[in-house]
Amino acid sequence: MTDQSLAMLLVLATTLFAVGLFGVLVRRGVLLQLIALEVLLAGPALAFIAAGARRGDAQGQAMFVILLVFAAAEVAIGLALYLRLRRCADVSDSDSVSQLRS
Amino acid sequence: MSSNFWLLLVPVPTLAAFMTLAFGPFWLGPSQVRAVALAGAWLTAALMLAASGVCASGTCHLLAPVFTVKVGTASVALALILDPLATVVGTTVAIVGGFVISYSLGYMARARLADLRRFFAYMNLFLGAMLTMVMAGDSINFFLGWEMMGLCSFFLIGYNMSLPRAFAAGRKAFVITRFGDVLLLAGLLLLFYEAGGVRIDALVNAALVMPPGRRSVVAVLLLGGALAKSAQLPFHTWLPVAMAGPTPVSALLHSATMVAAGAFLLARFAPLFAATPEVLAAVAMVGAFSSCFGALVAVFQTDVKRMLAYSSISQIGFMIISIGVGAPQVAIAHFVIHAIFKSLLFLSAGDMAYAAGGRTDIAALAGSSTRRPIAYFSFAAGAASLAGLPLITAGWWSKEAILASAVSAGPLGEILWSLALIAVALTATYATRAVLVGAGPSTLLARPPAVPPAGIATNAPLVLLAAASLAGGLLVGPIVRFLGAAEPDTPAFSAIVGAAAVLLGVSAAFALRRHPHLASRIARARKVRQGFRIDAVYQQRFVRPFRHLAYWLNGVRRGGRSSGIVDPLGAVPVLGIVWLVRRMIHWAAVDRVDRVWMRLAGMVPELSSFSRRSQTGRVRDYALSLIFGIAALLLLALKSPRLPWH
Amino acid sequence: MSAMVAIVAGGLAVVAALLAVTSSDAVRSLFALLAALLTLAAAFFALGADFAGALQILIYAGAVAAVFVFVVMTITNSDALRAAEHSRLRRVWPVPAAVAILIVLMVLPALRGAKSSAAVGAAIPVRAVGALLFGPWAVVVELASFLLLAAMLGARHLGRRAPSPPPNEPLQGRDGPS
Repeated sequence: MTDQSLAMLLVLATTLFAVGLFGVLVRRGVLLQLIALEVLLAGPALAFIAAGARRGDAQGQAMFVILLVFAAAEVAIGLALYLRLRRCADVSDSDSVSQLRS
Repeated sequence: MSSNFWLLLVPVPTLAAFMTLAFGPFWLGPSQVRAVALAGAWLTAALMLAASGVCASGTCHLLAPVFTVKVGTASVALALILDPLATVVGTTVAIVGGFVISYSLGYMARARLADLRRFFAYMNLFLGAMLTMVMAGDSINFFLGWEMMGLCSFFLIGYNMSLPRAFAAGRKAFVITRFGDVLLLAGLLLLFYEAGGVRIDALVNAALVMPPGRRSVVAVLLLGGALAKSAQLPFHTWLPVAMAGPTPVSALLHSATMVAAGAFLLARFAPLFAATPEVLAAVAMVGAFSSCFGALVAVFQTDVKRMLAYSSISQIGFMIISIGVGAPQVAIAHFVIHAIFKSLLFLSAGDMAYAAGGRTDIAALAGSSTRRPIAYFSFAAGAASLAGLPLITAGWWSKEAILASAVSAGPLGEILWSLALIAVALTATYATRAVLVGAGPSTLLARPPAVPPAGIATNAPLVLLAAASLAGGLLVGPIVRFLGAAEPDTPAFSAIVGAAAVLLGVSAAFALRRHPHLASRIARARKVRQGFRIDAVYQQRFVRPFRHLAYWLNGVRRGGRSSGIVDPLGAVPVLGIVWLVRRMIHWAAVDRVDRVWMRLAGMVPELSSFSRRSQTGRVRDYALSLIFGIAALLLLALKSPRLPWH
Repeated sequence: MSAMVAIVAGGLAVVAALLAVTSSDAVRSLFALLAALLTLAAAFFALGADFAGALQILIYAGAVAAVFVFVVMTITNSDALRAAEHSRLRRVWPVPAAVAILIVLMVLPALRGAKSSAAVGAAIPVRAVGALLFGPWAVVVELASFLLLAAMLGARHLGRRAPSPPPNEPLQGRDGPS
């Protein structure tokens, strides 16, 4: 693997991150924001794996594992929140869930 | 201690009686109170008679110094003196005072003990104050006595504390005489400033060397004080309402002694007035107008005490006339005679009113000739003297002396003489009218409750005074000579015209009796009876604006309650200072630096509310702020050369 | 190991991610996400990270995305909602797009001068990863387990049945997936 390909992969990873970011900013529905978060998390994952492969280091994959754990936890909490929120608010528009009350 | 120390003892018995009754032991019984009062008055009268004996026997310019204080370059030397003027006036005051106090023993028989003490205490204090004033050799003692007389007058007029009319009358008397006292004080202070001393002869001498303009000013000021105290025009409004006090008070204060104090003042400072002819002329004119006014209004009165009050105004006007023409000795002679018959009139009228059930209107006197013969006949004697029945009464002699002094005093004197004649006629009218009413049958609808006949304490003064008022004409000449002037020679025509005026007045009174419709017209002339409503004018012009000013200065709104303490002159500086301080604080409170700090501090809530807008609660906005943080971190990570992979 | 395959797979993942992010339908978005995740797994395999690729398929696409599928199953999607979401998307996309592009551009210059030691081409054995995880990174693994425990408890608590009817009843019938 050459440096250029690593650079390309890193650019792709950054693009994934940026796309996920874009999605979080743009989407109004809570579920769609959560999906965008997943995309966002995929970016650093690719970056870690690519860097680890370039150096021949297992730390990249280990980091990916940690990141996976992190993503799983976040999805669990996020979806639970989403379900809870759906009971008492309009979750198709996250802007409306801006008050602490109800 | 000078050789004349005994002179200082003359007012002492009255003052001691006052101290005993006012501050003394509380266990004095009514008879003891009366004894103390009587002793105070008569001991003083005895001492005064002794002093007059000393004076009559030759050496009559005695000086008893009290003490001397040095004030800068001036020396304030207090002293009492005894000279003919003081002797005559003082003896009169002491004897009349003794008679009145004897009379009041019976008059106040049914008063409560506390009121009795109060009454006799003030009466004695008044006698002591008047004697101090009469014998004063310096302006301070003079003014002290003057003021104390005014104070006692206030307390004695308002003696009946349950009667608001009495208190209002006392207040009015006090305020008006106080106004005159301020003028008097101003005059005395100007003289002190000129003379550098307070002895009266020093003041008079200093006044004689003053420039004429200032001398006139001082004379006018002294005149103002005298007019207010003597109830002459324009300060006369207090005397008729002062009749709300008990009869002995009216007899002593407001007929015989206190109201004549103004004439005494003018007589004391006679050399000063002699040096200001124009002021003297004004004095005479005021006297003439007052005497006519008083006599005219007295004819229209329905209340005997008010009639006698206006009569006092008129008679003192006579005294002032003779002072104004330069014959103060004649005025003093008339003062003595007037004291005798006016106090007699009041005392007897009081007795008759008491017998008529306490009513003091003239119509109630009807039938007194049978109910109270002694009082009635002494009243008749006094009225005769008041009217000046020719030759047989003392009043005739003193009034003739006044008229004689007036007529021989130049062209102005002629005018004064004619005005005085009018007053003489009117005087005879109202005096006779009262006597005639009393002689008639009783017109009261219901018989008044029978009262016990008056005791010796009441009747003895009446009889003695009646005798004096008839025989006192013999005293007039000696008094005038004693006071150091020649007896004025009476032109024959003046005597005849005077007698004619008196008889005219008497017959007018008889005519009024016979023609009831005239009497009813008199009864309906309310405006004249109220003294031509002069008092109402004063009320409107002076009293009401002053009251409004006092309320405003005290911060009391219309109809609000005040603290009861009115101090306009004290409130004005305070209000001014408060306003000034407020302006200064307002100017200085614009603190620039403080403003800046306040603005800085005011920015904080604004900043806070501005920054609060970032807390939208929206996920996307928080995500945006997260992104900015990430971007910053990225910048930090990617640009920093210290990181290992660079 | 083929970097080119990885790059292509990565590009496909980016395309799929774009689709996921820009579709107004939740189901379509989810499918696009799945596609992105799977192509990323392909990329991992191409890069020689077998363990990572397997984990990606098993856990990421298999469990996490499956949970998403469960939740998406419970929503009622209507045309009105989709239209609303689409309109909103059309309104607001310029600024976040600019921000995203900016971030990418910020990273680019740093990648230019990246150089390292000799190229490595071999795949990284799973054993090495395990040795790392159970060796020097054991504490990190423990911390990750804490995180999972917290997430589990949180999800359990948040997902419990409502204890009492919520005070604002009318809100339950509003539009929105309920």
